[in-house]
Amino acid sequence: MLTEEARRAISEIRKADIVVGIPSYNNARTIGHVVRAAQAGLAKYFPQLSGVIINSDGGSKDGTREEVLKASIEDPRLLLLATPLLPVHRLSLPYHGIPGKGSAFRMIFAMARELGARACAVVDADLRSITPEWMDLLLRPVLHAGYDFVAPYYHRHKYDGTITNSIVYPLTRALYGLRVRQPIGGDFGISARLLARYLQRDDWETDVARYGIDIWMTTIAIAEGYQVCQSFLGAKLHDAKDPAADLSAMLQQVVGSVFTLMREYERVWRAVRGSRPVDLFGFRFDVGLDPIPVNLERMRRALLTGYRELREIWAMALDAETLRDLATLCRRAEAEPRDWRFPDDLWVRTVLEFACAHRRLPVERGHLLRSLTPLYLGRVASFVLETEHMISAEVEERIEQLCLAFEAAKPYLVARWDSAVGTPVPHAQPAPVEVRK
Amino acid sequence: MIGTLREILEQSWQRLAGTATTYVPPLVAATVIVLAAWLIAAAVRGLFLRLTRMARLDRFVVESGLSSLLGRTRPLETAPLVAGVIYWLILLIGLLTGLSAFNTALTNKMVEAVVFLLPKLFAAGLILLAGVWLGQYLGRSALIWAVNEGLPHPRRLAAGVRVLVVFVSVVVAADHLNFARTVFLAAFVLLVGGLVLAGSIALGLSAHGALRHLRETARTREEEKSLWDHL
Repeated sequence: MLTEEARRAISEIRKADIVVGIPSYNNARTIGHVVRAAQAGLAKYFPQLSGVIINSDGGSKDGTREEVLKASIEDPRLLLLATPLLPVHRLSLPYHGIPGKGSAFRMIFAMARELGARACAVVDADLRSITPEWMDLLLRPVLHAGYDFVAPYYHRHKYDGTITNSIVYPLTRALYGLRVRQPIGGDFGISARLLARYLQRDDWETDVARYGIDIWMTTIAIAEGYQVCQSFLGAKLHDAKDPAADLSAMLQQVVGSVFTLMREYERVWRAVRGSRPVDLFGFRFDVGLDPIPVNLERMRRALLTGYRELREIWAMALDAETLRDLATLCRRAEAEPRDWRFPDDLWVRTVLEFACAHRRLPVERGHLLRSLTPLYLGRVASFVLETEHMISAEVEERIEQLCLAFEAAKPYLVARWDSAVGTPVPHAQPAPVEVRK
Repeated sequence: MIGTLREILEQSWQRLAGTATTYVPPLVAATVIVLAAWLIAAAVRGLFLRLTRMARLDRFVVESGLSSLLGRTRPLETAPLVAGVIYWLILLIGLLTGLSAFNTALTNKMVEAVVFLLPKLFAAGLILLAGVWLGQYLGRSALIWAVNEGLPHPRRLAAGVRVLVVFVSVVVAADHLNFARTVFLAAFVLLVGGLVLAGSIALGLSAHGALRHLRETARTREEEKSLWDHL
């Protein structure tokens, strides 16, 4: 798991109270800022604790690692109101194994364990909005309030984080009953206890090694009863992702991880009804966000092409009634390009039926997940149409409605999950259930 | 005259009696064997269907993707299918045993040929089945990939992949059976060569258009990149 270089670094540093991990791949443009923010945050908020900033790099060719080693806060113009008693080390190491964020995290976690860290924070390398306060917000709940997992809470543009808003947040919340708003946010605080649990697991070589890592960490923390909280970090502004990254693969890895963990934690989510809020640290404030231009036509076309070409594959997962409703939806989307909507109820049924099919048809899992892309794009297009003139609070209210629809459909999920192999369950109207506020 | 006629009749009668004594007992035996095999086959089929609910087999068939082999969205009825295979296998064994009761050069040769060919046929059948399954699987992968990438004619692409994989499995099966080996191999080489040639010509002819299209797509993608980056 650890390279020779990493072992050498550990034997030199020996011990650290805090580890800050930054996974990277070609992030030379932004990583210097992230390292400086982390370094200043450790110096300012935890001057009495020893810290290490570890950059786990996936083979960048743009000088990312050099930027990490170059970044420094030794600037006379920078005034810290605390004098660090202990140095903050900076390391930049390449990781081995499957290329991806998860593999980078694995090395960071293993090093944190070896260094005896009491808390570990991980932040993305492409962040433009990170400030030193993020270190305080991610680490203090772990170090001083007994939390094991600190999830981020950001202000994001209404069209930012659509995988989170349309699938991952509502589904995770409905399954495990905790309202963790950014389960795949990417910036987390983790306790030593939880780190040890992550490292104990043997599924690191799956989608967890790539984009599945965030939801994997969040789900384990919630489902295994660790103390979870959120910290308000302000705005999340980040650089463009790897242009080569394929949306379909990303969706497959994230949603595939959610579905896989559903099988593992079946006993946990079966018993859960409704959801409850999670403790939130930090002072909430509104911030200006970069506008996100949208090409609705391309997403609408993706849905229509998907319906035309992938119907047979969807039929492996979906009920006859769901398919019929999708047909009606697509006809409408074709006839009236700006006056169609993907109803919450239909979207919820679609996602839940795919989750059940993912369990039932192991050989077809890859196909099913990849065939979800046009449906997902259709849902995003509908969401954009619906929220075009809404302000951020109204959009949040709209997402809340979707979450409630997911929670209300829980009995339907359980019934379908339990059904015999290949036997379709008669479509059940989601029954209203009590929601604990 | 009458003597000659009597002699002929006697000879005919003797020949008939000889034939009857040679063939009727084996025929009766063969009929009994085939009837017994039929009864056993029917009984085993009934017993199999009654005893097994085949939940495990059904699950295996669905999970292995065999049920979607023929593009089915509902699982195959595995129990009747397996019972049918067992039924016909027992009947075939009965038929071969019945034939061997005649103990003639012809029947022995027939039995020998079938017994010799059966394992090869079975292996060839498996190769074909695997080829069809793989073709279906890879065809589906190609279809989804083409749709998600926004390529034109995704179904044709998927069908092409399916046909190619199935054709390769047919070539392998034919080679295994030693049946028209050269014909299939030649067809395979021609097909692959033709594909390469067609690809080269298409690439040459459409390079200009494709480059222009790529440039336009890159420009459109640049405009859309923002949302894509935030999905």
